[in-house]
Amino acid sequence: MDTPTLIGLYRDMWLIRAFEQGLEREFEKGNVPGMLHTGLGQEATQAALAHHLKASDTFFPDHRCHGINALAQHRYGGDGERIMAELFGKATGVCSGKGGSLHSADPNVGNFGDNAVEGSYMATVLGVALAAKIRSQPNVACAIIGDGTVGRGEFHESLNMAAIWDLPVLYACVNNGYAISMPVGEGHASADIVDMVKGYGIPTRQLDGNHVIEAAEEVGEAVEHIRSGKGPYFLEFKTWRWQGIFAGEFRPEAEVKYWREDHDPIMLATEALAERGVSQSELYTVEQEVKELIEEWISFAMESPSPDPAKATADVYVGWEVATR
Amino acid sequence: MTDTDTVPAKPARRERKPRQSDKVRKTSFTQALNNALDLAMAKHDEMFVIGEDIAEMGGDFGVTKGLFNKYGGERVRDTPLSEAAIIGTCAGAAMVGMRPVAEIMFADFLGECYDQIVNNVAKMHYMFDGQFTAPLVIRTACGGGFGGGPHHSQSVEGWFLNVPGIVIVAPSNPVDAKGLLLASIDSDDPVLFLEHKALYRSRAEVPPDYYTTPLGTAAVAREGSDVTVVASMRMVPMALAAAEKASEQGVSVEVVDLRTIRPYDADTVLSSAAKTGRVVVANEAPKIGGLGSELSARISEECFSELSGPVVRVDGLDTPIPFSVPLEEVVLPDEAAVSAAIAIAAQY
Repeated sequence: MDTPTLIGLYRDMWLIRAFEQGLEREFEKGNVPGMLHTGLGQEATQAALAHHLKASDTFFPDHRCHGINALAQHRYGGDGERIMAELFGKATGVCSGKGGSLHSADPNVGNFGDNAVEGSYMATVLGVALAAKIRSQPNVACAIIGDGTVGRGEFHESLNMAAIWDLPVLYACVNNGYAISMPVGEGHASADIVDMVKGYGIPTRQLDGNHVIEAAEEVGEAVEHIRSGKGPYFLEFKTWRWQGIFAGEFRPEAEVKYWREDHDPIMLATEALAERGVSQSELYTVEQEVKELIEEWISFAMESPSPDPAKATADVYVGWEVATR
Repeated sequence: MTDTDTVPAKPARRERKPRQSDKVRKTSFTQALNNALDLAMAKHDEMFVIGEDIAEMGGDFGVTKGLFNKYGGERVRDTPLSEAAIIGTCAGAAMVGMRPVAEIMFADFLGECYDQIVNNVAKMHYMFDGQFTAPLVIRTACGGGFGGGPHHSQSVEGWFLNVPGIVIVAPSNPVDAKGLLLASIDSDDPVLFLEHKALYRSRAEVPPDYYTTPLGTAAVAREGSDVTVVASMRMVPMALAAAEKASEQGVSVEVVDLRTIRPYDADTVLSSAAKTGRVVVANEAPKIGGLGSELSARISEECFSELSGPVVRVDGLDTPIPFSVPLEEVVLPDEAAVSAAIAIAAQY
């Protein structure tokens, strides 16, 4: 990977981190309604995926995907602030505030929306992939899933059908070690998800999801495999989420220290860039530029109007209006 | 007996008296649906049919028969026993502009893909602010009366009645079955298309051409002035038979065939209720929280001053469907139950 590409990924990771940290701050102030699941700590995985997915590809984001949503919106739509506005429930959001954190979508940038019943889109991704195959389009349909998704029936139905039909699906499993509070090894037959996938005959790769160079290279290989018509591919990114559970931090102190201090994806990239002679001041400039951009997005979201109340009853059906009060 | 001499000669073909069915070849409900799928696949390049045993086998009830040979395996697609993946595949393909038709072999199996339908398909257009549509049809065989037991006999419309965004279509005869299926495939809204198994062999003169029966419109299957019976699917032929018998007693019964259960044609239902002032609501599903509850509440709310008495409900009992036929007969409503309800309503 050349240095400009790595600096680009570094910028993308900072965009994700600044987005999530700004969002956390505003959530605590009461400006962001509902629930908040951040992708802090998982920036390298998301940046690596976003790096290789085109606007003509499709991705179904997971619970902690504000960052990749914002990256795709910024890169292909030029309006990343609309992801922020969606999370604030505002009229200028990508779904006019009707979807929120767990249902932000914009097909023009390839974002087909999260489904908050995690794992559900393991089934949906099959249809997007089947359509691409029928139409002979070299598109990748990507399902970004968490380790907790492995417990769902759709996980297995999806892998089976993608395998028998050779569908162009990229399964990107973000294994952050816990499904809310359930450790991955206690909730599943194997703590290594790839072990369970191998039986479906799908090529798999387990990788360090916090190491952006390795992650981006592996995603690149997987995407190339799929685009060349060789069928599905499964990537397991070993990573860790900074956010605890509702009650606070529940994980062992040493584990927290390792992931937050010794294996922070941005720190690892900073070290790699330093080895290549990129100056601290150049990286600091990148970080500051992105943080300023995010503050602009937050201001945009704050100043945007709430949705028109008529939106509450719009688009239930295409062919019918529903009763209003 | 190998000696050909001892084999009796073939009897000469007997002269048959011409029957009504010889003049116009009547079409079964199953054939009407099959014809609709054929016409729709010819019309929509982006349509495919997907389900269990629907390709070379032609489906458990023969509704997709012949489509595989005509349109090939890419568009007529067999799947493993993966209902969630079947509906998910349809949903995803619909999101990118295809027009899939799924067959869920028995409506009872909809539990396996309930989340896909309720949380994904039905909400997609709304929660993503109109950016996606889900123009898919989920065909499924429902209803009892044949000893199918608890998992092959249920009436499931109540499972979906409380789900905004889904269209529920429920034909009662072959002509509507074809027109409604073609309209469902044309529709940009997701349709749950209920096929009552007891109707599959019913026959009628079905126009061979492409035609649609508009969704969301009920039909007045029989006009009358004393009592209105609102029914759907298998309850419609029962209601018509009961109406005929009532007319012999001097009671004029109007039968409203809902055809679309969600969103239903309130105008036709309410105007008939207001006209006769006496209403029977007939459904096969369990009584509590079902279509009959909704209709009787709505009619009572909006036609109270025109009603001569309370709405009379005919429903299945509040039980699962038992296997043994004599037990099933206890649980499911029949024509006599509709007649009894008409008699009660007529006294108001």
